[in-house]
Amino acid sequence: MNGVRLDRVRAGYGRTTVLRDVDLVVPAGKTVALLGANGAGKTTLLQTVAGLVPSTAGRISLGPQRIDHLPEHTRAEMGLCLIPEGKGVFRQLSVRDNLAMFAIGSPLSEAIERAVAAFPILGARLYQEAGTLSGGQQQMLALSRALVTDASVIMADELSLGLAPVIVDEIFEVLERFRSEGRALLIVEQFVDRALAIADYVYILHKGAVAFVGEPAQCQDHHIFEQYVGATP
Amino acid sequence: MRQYLPFIVIGLTTGGVYALASLGLVLTYRTSGVFNFGHGAIAMFSTYAFYSLRQHLPTPIAAALAILVVAPLLGIVIDAFLFRRLAGAGPTAAIVASLGLLVGLQGLAVALYGGQARTVAPIFPSSTYRVFDFNVGVDQTLVVAIAVVGGAVLIAFFKWTRLGLQTRAVVDNRALSGLSRTNAASVTRLSWMLGCAFAATSGILFAPSVGLDSLLLTLLVVQAFGAAAAGGLKSFPITALAAFGLGIGQGIATKIVGEIGNPSLTGLPSALPFILLFAVLVFSRKGSLREAPSVRSTVRSGRVRLTRRFPVRAITAVFAVLLVIPPFLNSSRLLTATLTVAFILLFASLSLVIGLSRQLSLTHAVFVALGATTLSHLQSAGVPYMLALPLAALLLTPLGAALAFPAIRLSSLYLGLATVGFGILAQNLLFPTPLTFGAQRAVLIHRPGFLDGDLAFYYFVLAVVVIGVVMVEVVRITRLGRILVALADSPTAIGALGVSPLASRVITFCLSTFLAGLAGGLLGSLVRAVNPTSFTFFDSLVWVTVLVMAGALTFGGSVLAAVALVAVPAIFTSSTVSEWQPVVFGAATILLAQAHNGLIGTMRQLTHAAAEQWQRWRIGSDRTLERQIWTLGFGDGDGSPDTVDVTTVRSAPQPLAVQR
Repeated sequence: MNGVRLDRVRAGYGRTTVLRDVDLVVPAGKTVALLGANGAGKTTLLQTVAGLVPSTAGRISLGPQRIDHLPEHTRAEMGLCLIPEGKGVFRQLSVRDNLAMFAIGSPLSEAIERAVAAFPILGARLYQEAGTLSGGQQQMLALSRALVTDASVIMADELSLGLAPVIVDEIFEVLERFRSEGRALLIVEQFVDRALAIADYVYILHKGAVAFVGEPAQCQDHHIFEQYVGATP
Repeated sequence: MRQYLPFIVIGLTTGGVYALASLGLVLTYRTSGVFNFGHGAIAMFSTYAFYSLRQHLPTPIAAALAILVVAPLLGIVIDAFLFRRLAGAGPTAAIVASLGLLVGLQGLAVALYGGQARTVAPIFPSSTYRVFDFNVGVDQTLVVAIAVVGGAVLIAFFKWTRLGLQTRAVVDNRALSGLSRTNAASVTRLSWMLGCAFAATSGILFAPSVGLDSLLLTLLVVQAFGAAAAGGLKSFPITALAAFGLGIGQGIATKIVGEIGNPSLTGLPSALPFILLFAVLVFSRKGSLREAPSVRSTVRSGRVRLTRRFPVRAITAVFAVLLVIPPFLNSSRLLTATLTVAFILLFASLSLVIGLSRQLSLTHAVFVALGATTLSHLQSAGVPYMLALPLAALLLTPLGAALAFPAIRLSSLYLGLATVGFGILAQNLLFPTPLTFGAQRAVLIHRPGFLDGDLAFYYFVLAVVVIGVVMVEVVRITRLGRILVALADSPTAIGALGVSPLASRVITFCLSTFLAGLAGGLLGSLVRAVNPTSFTFFDSLVWVTVLVMAGALTFGGSVLAAVALVAVPAIFTSSTVSEWQPVVFGAATILLAQAHNGLIGTMRQLTHAAAEQWQRWRIGSDRTLERQIWTLGFGDGDGSPDTVDVTTVRSAPQPLAVQR
């Protein structure tokens, strides 16, 4: 199992720089919560690691290997899995086809088995178009990708956005399970207390730079949140 | 019924070829989000390659090479050098680039093989067999069989193979398929290869019946647009069925038109696909035609501010030069100059639609031709020239208004397709009627006595063009221009402001049509005789590519376009120049489709960059200044220190290290 390391990474869109020399480490098997106000660059950071946004400086490594020059599909093959915010499923494909896409290269039946074991509801929806699933079910399907690919690093962007609390519980259970399986997690989450409960380390981004690094216990100092996140947990 | 059967069989054959062409088109559109107007040109070019290969190789090998090697290679080139470069540049840039591909490949074929048509020996045995006591050709059966098998294979490929699944996934969500370990770029490349192979197949199957005529082959595949639109540019089965339906409809229409025997209707069968295209686009439910999301790139080109000032200096300079040059020109050069000046008006009219509203009109040649014919008809009705000229243009404006309605409902691509449909319909159905060219297939225009001299007419054209150009520039700087620019940006926002897009769209299209008609009247008066081939559908496409290449946003672009199109080949009379001109236009359009305001804009940016560089060199490398600007730029204005104290971050606990 690998971890992810960012060294002075810079990235942005066109002339706008969003990430300014970000250092960040997700050790193998550990969970990192990435917090910050709107526009702090959290999503951009995840997308840069995944390869959707090119980094313009610095280095990104997955375990021993430098990956910042690799295309996104190669990074995914190496065990990096980003669950993007709100768009983690192929909406026009059936649930089954989605799982087939996620599990390319490995037997589909096994993938379906694993996904259904974690989220039984998906078993009843195999032939339904993914776009017609409820928000929670879509998020479960999206999470199935991490499940069936044996990714060593899972990055989840706002998994709980717009979901009912019951569903959020279910999703966090799966995250806990990933953790216990020894996978590294990098999560961006709006429910700060939930994120802190699961995290080993906390990073706070502020205007594209790392403003705080520490352990969840250190975050009891509410001052930090007022300053950078704009809310108290 | 019996007598229709042979025509239905012929129709099935053409339908089969349409099916292959339109399936390839839909395939590439779905996977890349780029509608390739050059699809027919790819078919044409592969067919030429087939023709050349066949002279040295047996037919099956030549066909296999053309379909499985040449066409896929074209696909790779198109994917790599054309549309991937344009990722994120917006749908209009991609469409214009594909028009550039069409014009360029078309020109290349003419430059390499010459303009005259060649016959192509039949590919399949022409023997026949009898079914229900009438003859069916073996070749016809084979064409239909190939189409059916090709379509079935494509649909099966999409449904059941892993690559098909990946293709559907890329179409659905490109970024996510990358995250799911699928190389989206190679999937797109593959679909271009496949789409081009389909195009090549259709072209090669077409060739024996129509001959090797670059324009005809290109446009025959354009007929596939109708079937593709009927399938919503999405569904393979509906597209294939519509293609077969079109073919059969054409067969039956040929029979019926032949029986009626009215020469005005001869264009009907070949116009059928465009009737379907136009009908689908105009009568579709609002919102049912949505464009496929094109590939978005994270690298956005810096958007330059749109200047909306009246270009007093440019206009004065250009027309001052035009005012004084006649004494330096001999009589043939003076004609060229007159032609160029008239084309400035034409391009100004086009830039109103393309540059200001950022919409696609691929039918301006029709307006120009109608401007000339209407002027001629008014003259024969006894209207004096000076009145007939503006009146003819004015009579065309309802046509422009009619086009404004689809322009409100349809996005750039579908409007482009609708205007293509309209242009070809007009050419096939309207031009043969007495309303325009009539049975003599030509109209004459008489210039009044005081304009009979070439010099007098030159100054007259110049005066009219000045008025027209000023009208365009006035639109640009007034509220109407502002609304048009805003509409191009966000129709929703304009609607939310309570401004109806209807009036501004109608006025723009009317004015553009009026000016095009005026230019048509002037061009017609210049040559004194106009026929249906003077201004063709293909000219519309060339004009758009030339204008975009030169710069569609400003007056300078219109002038440059007119010079590049008309004056350059007239000055450099060598045949090489005129032969390679379309190739250069095509290539330059592809290169500049993404540039802000084409060649003019690029030159502007270069001079600006040079000036900035000069400034920087003069100031020297004053780093402090740069740093100050940086800090100022990111302060949020509340006076508090805005940047995070780097020292505290660095000294924060760093318990983390990558454990291997």
